[in-house]
Amino acid sequence: MKCVILAAGEGKRVHPLTFTRPKVMIPIGNKPILEWNLLNAIDAGIREFVFVVSYKSEMVRSYFGNGEKWNVKIEYVNQGEPLGTAHAISVVEKFVKDFIVLCGDTIFGKKDFKNIVKTKNSMGLAKVENAKEYGIIELDKENVVKIYEKMDEPFTNIINGGIYHFNSKIFNYIRKTKKSPRGEFEITDSINMMIKDTNLKGIFLKNWRDVVYPWHLLDANEEILKKIDKKIDGTVEKNTTIKGKVIIGKNSTIMNGSYIEGPVVIGENCKIGPNCYIRPYTSIGNDCHVGNACEVKNSIILNNSNVPHQNYVGDSIIGENCNLGAGSKVANLRLDKKNISVVLNGNKLNTNRRKLGVIMGDNVQTGINSMMNVGTIIGNNCFLGLGAIAKDEIKPYAMIL
Amino acid sequence: MCGIIGYTGFRDANKVLIDSLKRLEYRGYDSAGISVIHKKQQVYKQVGEIKALEKNLPDFKGTVGVGHTRWATHGGVTKENAHPHLSSNKKIAVVHNGIIENFSKLRENLIKKGYKFASQTDSEVIAHLIEDNYKDNLEKAVYSALKKVEGYYAIVVTSTDEPDKIVGARKDSPLVIGVGDNENFLGSDITAFLKYTKRVVFLNDGELCAVTNKDIKIFDENNKAVKRDEQVIKWDYKDAEKSGFSHFMLKEIFDQPDTVHHVIRGRVSEIDRAIQFNENVENLLSNGLDSIHIVACGTSYYAGLVGKYMLEKLTGIPVIVELASEYRYFGTRDENSLIIGVTQSGETLDTLAALKEAKNSGCRILVITNVIGSTATRLSDGYILTQSGPEIGVAATKTFTSQILVLCLIALKIGMLKNKIGADEVYKYILQLKELPRKVRQALDQSDEILKIANQLKNTQSVFFIGRGINYPLSLEGALKLKEISYLHAEGFAAGELKHGPFALLTKITPVVAIVTKDFTYEKLLANIGEVKARGPKVIAIADENDTEIEKHADFVIRFPSNSDIMSCIPIIVILQLLAYHVANLRGCSIDKPRNLAKSVTVE
Amino acid sequence: MKAVILAAGEGKRLRPFTETIPKVMLPVANKPVLEYVVDAVKKSGIAEIIIVVGYKKEVIMEYFKEYKGLKISYVTQDKQLGTAHALLQAKSRIKETFIVISGDNIVDQKSISQLIKDQSKYSMLIKEHPHPSKYGAVFIEKGKLKEIVEKPKEEIGKFISTGIYKLPKSIFKTVEELTSRGTNDLTSVIQEVMKNGEEINTIKAESWMDIVYPWDLIQINEAMIHSSKFSVGGVVEKEVTIKGDVSIGKDTTIYSGCYIVGPVVIGEGCEIGPNACIFPSTTIGNNSVVHPFSEIRNSVIMDDTHIGSNSFIKNSIIARGTIISNNFSCISGDNTVEIDGEFKKLENLGAMIGEDCTFGSHVVIDPGIIIGRKCNIESMKKITKNVTSNTKVM
Repeated sequence: MKCVILAAGEGKRVHPLTFTRPKVMIPIGNKPILEWNLLNAIDAGIREFVFVVSYKSEMVRSYFGNGEKWNVKIEYVNQGEPLGTAHAISVVEKFVKDFIVLCGDTIFGKKDFKNIVKTKNSMGLAKVENAKEYGIIELDKENVVKIYEKMDEPFTNIINGGIYHFNSKIFNYIRKTKKSPRGEFEITDSINMMIKDTNLKGIFLKNWRDVVYPWHLLDANEEILKKIDKKIDGTVEKNTTIKGKVIIGKNSTIMNGSYIEGPVVIGENCKIGPNCYIRPYTSIGNDCHVGNACEVKNSIILNNSNVPHQNYVGDSIIGENCNLGAGSKVANLRLDKKNISVVLNGNKLNTNRRKLGVIMGDNVQTGINSMMNVGTIIGNNCFLGLGAIAKDEIKPYAMIL
Repeated sequence: MCGIIGYTGFRDANKVLIDSLKRLEYRGYDSAGISVIHKKQQVYKQVGEIKALEKNLPDFKGTVGVGHTRWATHGGVTKENAHPHLSSNKKIAVVHNGIIENFSKLRENLIKKGYKFASQTDSEVIAHLIEDNYKDNLEKAVYSALKKVEGYYAIVVTSTDEPDKIVGARKDSPLVIGVGDNENFLGSDITAFLKYTKRVVFLNDGELCAVTNKDIKIFDENNKAVKRDEQVIKWDYKDAEKSGFSHFMLKEIFDQPDTVHHVIRGRVSEIDRAIQFNENVENLLSNGLDSIHIVACGTSYYAGLVGKYMLEKLTGIPVIVELASEYRYFGTRDENSLIIGVTQSGETLDTLAALKEAKNSGCRILVITNVIGSTATRLSDGYILTQSGPEIGVAATKTFTSQILVLCLIALKIGMLKNKIGADEVYKYILQLKELPRKVRQALDQSDEILKIANQLKNTQSVFFIGRGINYPLSLEGALKLKEISYLHAEGFAAGELKHGPFALLTKITPVVAIVTKDFTYEKLLANIGEVKARGPKVIAIADENDTEIEKHADFVIRFPSNSDIMSCIPIIVILQLLAYHVANLRGCSIDKPRNLAKSVTVE
Repeated sequence: MKAVILAAGEGKRLRPFTETIPKVMLPVANKPVLEYVVDAVKKSGIAEIIIVVGYKKEVIMEYFKEYKGLKISYVTQDKQLGTAHALLQAKSRIKETFIVISGDNIVDQKSISQLIKDQSKYSMLIKEHPHPSKYGAVFIEKGKLKEIVEKPKEEIGKFISTGIYKLPKSIFKTVEELTSRGTNDLTSVIQEVMKNGEEINTIKAESWMDIVYPWDLIQINEAMIHSSKFSVGGVVEKEVTIKGDVSIGKDTTIYSGCYIVGPVVIGEGCEIGPNACIFPSTTIGNNSVVHPFSEIRNSVIMDDTHIGSNSFIKNSIIARGTIISNNFSCISGDNTVEIDGEFKKLENLGAMIGEDCTFGSHVVIDPGIIIGRKCNIESMKKITKNVTSNTKVM
């Protein structure tokens, strides 16, 4: 039984983080999204994987290798052009017989993997509140009758979970699938054809989490961190306070005066403190520095970034290789306490969040005392000058002086 | 120069090979062929374009194969001479790019041993040589065979005895390994397989590699195993479309209002009166320079000649322009010389060889090229991209004007650094630069008038182009363009040189195109036109739009928009390009793929 | 279902702006009009488009070559004879019911979707309009088309035809019949079809705009600028104030002291300022330079332009490549223009200046003046009358 994971997508809606990495490699709780799926699948007994890659595939390959780190076998197939989910699945035809396939950027729980593996010819279903963002499922008892496209007024809140158990017959239906109106070959079209000949069981997923926009990563991060166990491998100096479940990676140092309220994950080779305050649901990557008089809360900081002197970072995502100048601060709450809107890819969106700081891409440098407004999106390689004010959306390589 | 490709993986090889060959077609297109392994070597080759090959592509089974597009250097264009070539026992297939200099002796010896040859090419010798050296290992056989070969080559070899393997080797000819998942590629350049993977491993000169769908082994010239890291290519190969123009070349001529911008954007600030390059280039330009050498071939060489005028006028530094193929035979250079290599593709072998020579003498190397990641950029201490987009037409058009503009920017920058030109003067030049798209558009508007004049030229045997000062290299380029695509004989002369010989060639039926700018060369050039007319030929003047005198002297006039003396060259070039295009079109010539020419010459 | 987009026309009434590009490629908020149409068609679910091109077709084909995964094919109408004749060129590519839409009509995607979903054999989009006489008044009965009256003498009716139809393949028979007789417009084809007893269903379009005269460009820019993508790129120096929805392209520099109030779209490679003021709803194209202390308001500035210092530009259009020296003023106000033998009163209009013009310093232009292409105006001139292309004013 092989597990095929689709990891080829760019994930344009998660810009700016996906300018420099495929969506599945964005880390939450210090592991890429794809790794959470891998681990849950391994827990469910799966040992052989095929990753369908394309966009920035070298990042997936260099992290996962051939799978020996997890004692499993991982193979890779390059999709080439982004022609849709059915096309992505079609490239693995020569490599699989009876297999499960899932979208690598949606997180599925261990029990869900077990249930899907157990049931031949099945697909995972989820119940959501905002069903009009997803494909809708029509059921007849436990069998899927039809998968509908997104509709403005969905007749049910049962949606396509994005995980399937197929056998090699699916490839015949994929071959017959025509391009959809948006110009792609969709697996849902292939499935609708297959359902006419074979029964497809719908299995309700217990732990399903979808990441559509960057701020959803904060929710996913929070959920994952709720389940961690305390594990301290680094050096913790005498006069620090560590409360609750905190993971501290190898070679990391927590200096005096640091106050860490779990659940918090800190990676390897980090330098934390002195005198900093790290609050719950924060993930800090490897080789990071959070320094004197800094406060970080409910945020994700990727590898090799520095929040070094007198900074505040709340409800934010900081990309890799970023450096916040002394005194740079993030605003995360509107003065009128209303929900925060962002500008993403040039379009205004309501995040429905009361608190949201900055979403910052890789290699960003901020000058001393620079200020980032609520819901600011900063592209990779940007530069904020001395005392500069950043707001709305800033394109990659821009300079706000 | 040819294009070669090898594939080993899980996809249908015949489709992958043809697809990749299409992307290599610009390298040579007399004939093409593939051979796919499935129990035996299934060969399919034909004379003509890849499109024709694709139409009749047989349904070969198999996931391993080699392919080739040919530009004839030895032996005529026939199906037998097309690659791939098979060994006598039909087990080994070889595709080859390059020249085997000692092939006749090798061929003689092999025939004596009983090997049977099917073609007249030098390449076929390699296939039989490998068979002769084959014991049980393909790469060892290839290594031994190549030891006997003198010349330049990039080859890919397959054998039915080891059906998963493709073996590649290179010496002074490009070959790159493309790394995929469960599949690997070998190709003359990255564009061949860019659609399938962006990961490459560069094979160094003299090395050999044995590649299966999962494994890549590299051996150096002493047959020792070598480890090498892969790199990820960042650019996308975008196939430009003709978009309603009848030829790529015409589209690229009309691209120039835009490409002129792309050279300037991000480098020139009007408000700040500043010119800025990337850090490496800024360093190269700011340290004391005693002399500047420009090395290039063909049209890029003429860009260098134009650049010489600009550099000497604005910086006062002596500039030497050399043909790259001659450069290594003589030339003085040292650490205070800045060597500027101008090459559109970044792969022109002659230019690369000249730059390597210069580097060995301790000079500083600056490269002007259109292709990011090319060999020239990797050789340089700093490089400036012309950013003109892919140039598909074989005759260089937009890249020529872009190269001249880059040289102009360099001249202005050095001039500013040496305080040879003041901020006000720089500002005037910057305004001129920013006005160029408009001037180019005005020149393009003349296309219909130029067509009328082209009618005058289409039936002649010979056309002469004359100019003075900065217009002299323009006359050389005008002649070259006309020669390249219309197959007319054309020659450019410095106007002052005519009387020292070439006058003898002028007759009533050899029209002369004179480039006339209203500057200190004006009076003398009018005199030259007078001398020419006295001998019979019609004179076509390319003159300033405000020039009212010229009608009295020339038979036909094409106008270019007024500009500073340096910047006029750009609209003048556009007019010369259109003239060449229209003449070639009227004569029914194959404009995008002129006979016997290939883009980016990588054979010496 | 396929869509046929008619984009062959020159747009003579839009001169001088259409002297070098076809009408459908005029830029609105830095995107050609045709791109809005193609986007709306694509969003409504259509995967294959046939564009009928003619006048200056290379400009269209070069821009759209590989457009967002949509399958686009081109057919050429060699002589611009009329809308029905244009449609006829696409006949060989149509195998079933299709939509036909004019490339210069900006219509919203919902209305197109409704047209596609409609089950009638023939249907068309109509629009409520205060001045139907400009287009041709449409009369409906029980939701079906009853009559189209072209160029009515008085203001009658309240709907107009948008020229957007959903038609069966069989329509080509009627089209061929009529064009062979010399009747080349689609409206006549529809009237003929009605005469033969067919029913034409009408659907009200939500939003629809077309460009007929140069000043329409300013209004449409104002309407469409809201659909732009607003993010900030390039370099923004200190002491720059940016309010509202502002888009700044990459490689653009906004120098200190600039005051920009959105909605404003500024293209790539521009230099703005220092101390320049840009007010809504202004669009500035690529590679343009605006010198210090200039004010630009509700105007369309295209690529490659130079605006000299201390200039005032309001409700105006400045086409590509035009170079304007310092202290330029267009006076925004009312003007009466003669069009098609009638007099029209235009309000709040500045200057409309063609491509590649050169103006000296201190040039002043009266309201509603149109200046052609490649005109040269010397310093200190006041322009009170339209100037034709290629003229020197000394």
